[in-house]
Amino acid sequence: MEKIYLAYLIGCIASLILYKQSRLGSLIGFSVAAVASAAGLWHFLTHLNVFEKLEIPFPIVNATFTLDSLSAFFSFVISLVALAASIYGIHYAREYEEKGENTSLMAFFFNLFVVSMLLVVSASNVFWFMVFWELMTAASYFLICFNDEHNTRKATVLYMTIAHIGGSAILAAFVLMAISAHSLDFSSFSNASLSPVMAAVIFLLALFGFGSKAGFVPLHVWLPKAHPQAPSNVSALMSGVMIKTAIYGIIRFATWLPLHEWMGILILVIGALSSLLGVLYALMQHDYKALLAYHSIENIGIILLGVGVGVYGLATGNSLLATIGFLGGLYHVLNHATFKGLLFLGAGSVLYRVHTRDMEVLGGLAKKMPLTALAFLVGSMAISALPPLNGFVSEWFTYQSMIHATIEGSLLEKLIFPASIIALALTGALAVMCFVKVYSVIFSGVPRNRKLWEKAKESPILMVVGMYVLVIGCILFGLGAPYVSKEIIQVSKFLTSCSYRVADNVAVYSTLPTSLVSPVMITIILLAMMVVPVIMAAVYRDSLSAVVRETPTPWACGAKYTPRMQMTAAPFTGALRKLVDWLYRSEIHFEETNGYFGPVKYSAHARDIFWEIFYKPVIRAIDWSANTVRKIQNGNVQLYASYILVALVVLLVISVSI
Amino acid sequence: MDVLVMITQVLLAILLAPLLEGISGQITCKFQSRRGSDVFQPYRNFVKLFKRSETLPENATTLFRIAPYLMFAVASALVAIVPVVYTDYRWGMVSDFFMFVYLAALLRFIFGAASLDSGSPFAAIGGSREQMLAVFVEPTLMLSAMVVAFLAKTTNLVEISNLVASGKIGYFIPAFTVAAVAFLWAVYVETGKKPFDLPEAEQELQEGLLSEYSGKRLAISQWALMIKRIAVIGLFVVLFAPWLKTGNPFLDFGIFFFKVGIFYIFTAFVDAFYSRYRLFQLKKTAAGPFSLAVLSLLLYVLGGIK
Repeated sequence: MEKIYLAYLIGCIASLILYKQSRLGSLIGFSVAAVASAAGLWHFLTHLNVFEKLEIPFPIVNATFTLDSLSAFFSFVISLVALAASIYGIHYAREYEEKGENTSLMAFFFNLFVVSMLLVVSASNVFWFMVFWELMTAASYFLICFNDEHNTRKATVLYMTIAHIGGSAILAAFVLMAISAHSLDFSSFSNASLSPVMAAVIFLLALFGFGSKAGFVPLHVWLPKAHPQAPSNVSALMSGVMIKTAIYGIIRFATWLPLHEWMGILILVIGALSSLLGVLYALMQHDYKALLAYHSIENIGIILLGVGVGVYGLATGNSLLATIGFLGGLYHVLNHATFKGLLFLGAGSVLYRVHTRDMEVLGGLAKKMPLTALAFLVGSMAISALPPLNGFVSEWFTYQSMIHATIEGSLLEKLIFPASIIALALTGALAVMCFVKVYSVIFSGVPRNRKLWEKAKESPILMVVGMYVLVIGCILFGLGAPYVSKEIIQVSKFLTSCSYRVADNVAVYSTLPTSLVSPVMITIILLAMMVVPVIMAAVYRDSLSAVVRETPTPWACGAKYTPRMQMTAAPFTGALRKLVDWLYRSEIHFEETNGYFGPVKYSAHARDIFWEIFYKPVIRAIDWSANTVRKIQNGNVQLYASYILVALVVLLVISVSI
Repeated sequence: MDVLVMITQVLLAILLAPLLEGISGQITCKFQSRRGSDVFQPYRNFVKLFKRSETLPENATTLFRIAPYLMFAVASALVAIVPVVYTDYRWGMVSDFFMFVYLAALLRFIFGAASLDSGSPFAAIGGSREQMLAVFVEPTLMLSAMVVAFLAKTTNLVEISNLVASGKIGYFIPAFTVAAVAFLWAVYVETGKKPFDLPEAEQELQEGLLSEYSGKRLAISQWALMIKRIAVIGLFVVLFAPWLKTGNPFLDFGIFFFKVGIFYIFTAFVDAFYSRYRLFQLKKTAAGPFSLAVLSLLLYVLGGIK
């Protein structure tokens, strides 16, 4: 395992040495990252159930890294997305080269980012966990900074602020844990004797801290601002895997703490809220990268539903329930990494060619970029959990775990778990709507801006390869569900020490006695059914039926068709916006001043109310206090001298009175 | 054996779908004091369309061209996973409730994407409306079905159907009865009839999504929608009215399609007496069935307390 980490470090050093030859440096940096990730992919897959330990002597605290099933699983997920993102990055870096950025430095930070994530999930003492946790945040911060747009600085400041507040909460949780366990080593944490209050405090601190990284509602506001600002292959890593390290942290804490039912329920409720609110806000976005970022919040919510059931199961001593809960959650970790990575890479390819993140001016790109369009379509279908792709399987497990919990639960559980099921079902329906919108508005229909469309062409081969690595993942993790779940159940078993027969050759099973599902079989049925209309068309064929004429424009009730008549993203979800406007509180601008023949301008912008409720007051308070403090610091030397005098007098008075 | 049964079931549904549509059209005509065409008219329409040449908008991509075939395949798969005759629980691997719901979502995805791909303004409005309808229906559909799943302790449709048929769960449980009513509403909306949708309507409603299709692709799409209607009604029949199983596959198919036919006639009744809702009126309309579904959940919870 050390060889893999070493390989990334070589990538770091090589690209740093070559930073004067920026193109060569980035080529070598990203290639080394690709090779290292490919090796890592293989290593972590084969060593899923092998316990590995690496100890590096270090003054004060030895650096120990252990790779158990859970760490190996997350390392595998990180390597998978890193592989695609680094292959993609080799060519994508040119975009930044043209802008005059040093891409060699970008490759350096990329390698650093990946290796710090890998080390976070394998670190086995508090000190090194926190070091790499902060290193991960810092590396991603510098990577976002490569996009030098006017919003970037604002986004990164917000990101760093929330990351630091979160980081300090995690540190506090670790310190409390370490004090109780009298050790900084993770291995001794499970033996710590904790009072219920202490356990609750540590749990809440950890949930808050990791939640700020994962982007639960209401700690999510930085995510849709910061993720879209990063270069697209980094967005893929951030949304695909960085936020999963927080899930890893929560699961780790769940293995150490004496668990209580309410902890599982709390995670479940946060999950249900995040998934529903994430998708509701995603629907209102015009910026396709921000839309994808909001979907990360949604999917973190879905993962939390599974993890919540797992924690609840562990707390109630129902290890079978915990097993399927964690299975659903972890499977979705893998799946979300795959399709969200894919979608961000696809979005990056579009951005690479059209240089705008506003989807309202795109359209018809499938004709120009067919391979990207196909990849994006597969990603969209996978994230909407459509069978037989991978998203369906993990959501199925999550549903099953919640049904199982309802059946065995008492009064409160019989209400909360069904409510979560409804939240997930509604999320599913909304996700379909959202991805029909985002795919179609970008890739289908008539180009809304002809100039942009004329310039667009298929993305370079390496970027396409990067995307198709993940397309294969989406299909394989769906159709190969029995084999994948047999592996993931091992991780789940590691957490709950309980297992069941999860799959045979074609189907996967739930813990409910007769629930099973087989993506392969449904694919066979679907393919077989495709034949029927083809036969029918052949049977009733006539001399005319082969004739297909293309009309220059779609029908517009006899009026002259213009691309402006087409549906755009905002009206497609307009009915929904009106329906839930109590949540969005949209800002509507309506302008009719251009005379009878002039255009009427209408724009509606949905606001994130969490920003308004939780963040604006805090920012305003900080601003106010800073302004107030400024009054006493006016640069007048005499005034400062008098401050010193006053302080001196006060201190004297205090010391005399004591 | 079961595979043969499944194939027969799908083929029967494909063949009978236009006939049921014709019968329901005939009944609607009677209500409106019109003579109407005979019940075989949908078949003639399809044969005619298959023989016509096609026009496609120039901007349409491959997705638009293959969408009718995909929709047909998904709709047929929906019929295939309705356990009419096969009773082996192993078939639950495809005949699962979530599989049904998410396959229906797949159909909606393709339908919506194709409508936007055509570039036609009306088709896209229809696409948006179709997605919104699903948002209204999904909670009721899911919650009422979940109550049944909780009672049956499985989401395997074959198993649930067996349990209801053998009387282990059924209308003697209050939660089941209320859930059945809520589910019936959801199924009715999914069939795409008035007052929620208007299959024959051009422009922005259901058929409006197909406004850029012509010739064989139009025929295949329309046929797919009819098959989907049979599938959702079939789902209701096997979950909430799976009685009278004889064990003889052919007799069972006859009984099944008879029950589906009764439901179809019922939809024609409702269809004839209502005018179509605007989308926002649905908010109020959907609240009733959803509260019924919640009620059934409460009844289930209360029933669990001994």
